[in-house]
Amino acid sequence: MTVTAGEQPPARPGTRRRHTTRWVAGVTLVAGAALVALLATRPQQTATEVDTPLVGQVAPGITGPTLAGGSFDLAAWRGRWVVVNFFASWCPPCQQEQPELVAFAYAHRSPGDAALVGVVFDDAASTAHGFMQSTGASWPAVIDSGGQIALDYGVRGPPETFIVSPGGIVVAHFDGPMTNAALDYWLARAERGGL
Amino acid sequence: MSGVSPPGPWRRVSWVVLVVVLGVALGVGASRGGQPPTATQRADAIDALVRCPSCEGISVADSSASTAVAIRHTVAARVRAGQSDSQIDAFLVSRYGPGILLRPPVHGATAWVWVVPPAAAAVAVAGLTMALWRRRSRAPVAVSAEDRALVRRAQAARAEAGTGAEVVRTP
Repeated sequence: MTVTAGEQPPARPGTRRRHTTRWVAGVTLVAGAALVALLATRPQQTATEVDTPLVGQVAPGITGPTLAGGSFDLAAWRGRWVVVNFFASWCPPCQQEQPELVAFAYAHRSPGDAALVGVVFDDAASTAHGFMQSTGASWPAVIDSGGQIALDYGVRGPPETFIVSPGGIVVAHFDGPMTNAALDYWLARAERGGL
Repeated sequence: MSGVSPPGPWRRVSWVVLVVVLGVALGVGASRGGQPPTATQRADAIDALVRCPSCEGISVADSSASTAVAIRHTVAARVRAGQSDSQIDAFLVSRYGPGILLRPPVHGATAWVWVVPPAAAAVAVAGLTMALWRRRSRAPVAVSAEDRALVRRAQAARAEAGTGAEVVRTP
């Protein structure tokens, strides 16, 4: 077959197939790279507010020995905003939120300010105590023998956090790792009566 | 002429006997509770119907998770304290929400789970009864003398043709 000047020769089927394969491979490569970049740069998991039956109800009592060797009674903290945090040393989201809680506790260290109390969830006291000390946590952490406190608060798995009003009412419940900023936001909102 | 005869008195009696026997059997079965369940048996029965809050789709009776163990202890303590099953369920729901129960409650949005199956069964039984009743009350088909003559001719023709078919005498 002769090809005249200015006339494009018809592409051979094999050449066209090779071009298509290259295009598909290129697009797949770019899409894969974009997915990896998206997963690598996405923000860490944060807590979400959950609507549970306890919200709006009187906070169940929290009494018991603390990891530091003292004793704790939530009733003695009436009149202050209290953040109750269920945690375990083996739980990665708890490890993630721990520096944020340390920052929150430091920012609210003034007497009468919002207070933080931890409740050990399904963890050995010695391990949990080591975890607290290694992260510089100075707030009381109550040993929950038998998981009764967790049951009273309807906790499914750590970390879970509750905000208790000065009147002893549970005003919010969060599932997942909290941040200092989120706690300040929710506390301010609760103080304004927005919860 | 042959046809379906209307139900005679014996047939009605047999139905009555069947219903009476069924009723007595159900009554005896329902009243045969034996000894009341022990506290452990009651707690086990409740545990089997409470969802493990930190597991996927299994009861606290089948889980060794710390939350399941705590619920089992609470259930046992509340049974020993004399609380009813509904009181214990209500406590767990007040902590975890209605999803903690593997058996949906009979009220609210989940009521249809309990209502639909018996309602569907009742409709099916009623429909079947009506269909059978209509079938029985339908007038029997009358066979005329022409029909019988036609059959006789056809049979005779087949016999002459040597198909081997037997001539069946009909009344």
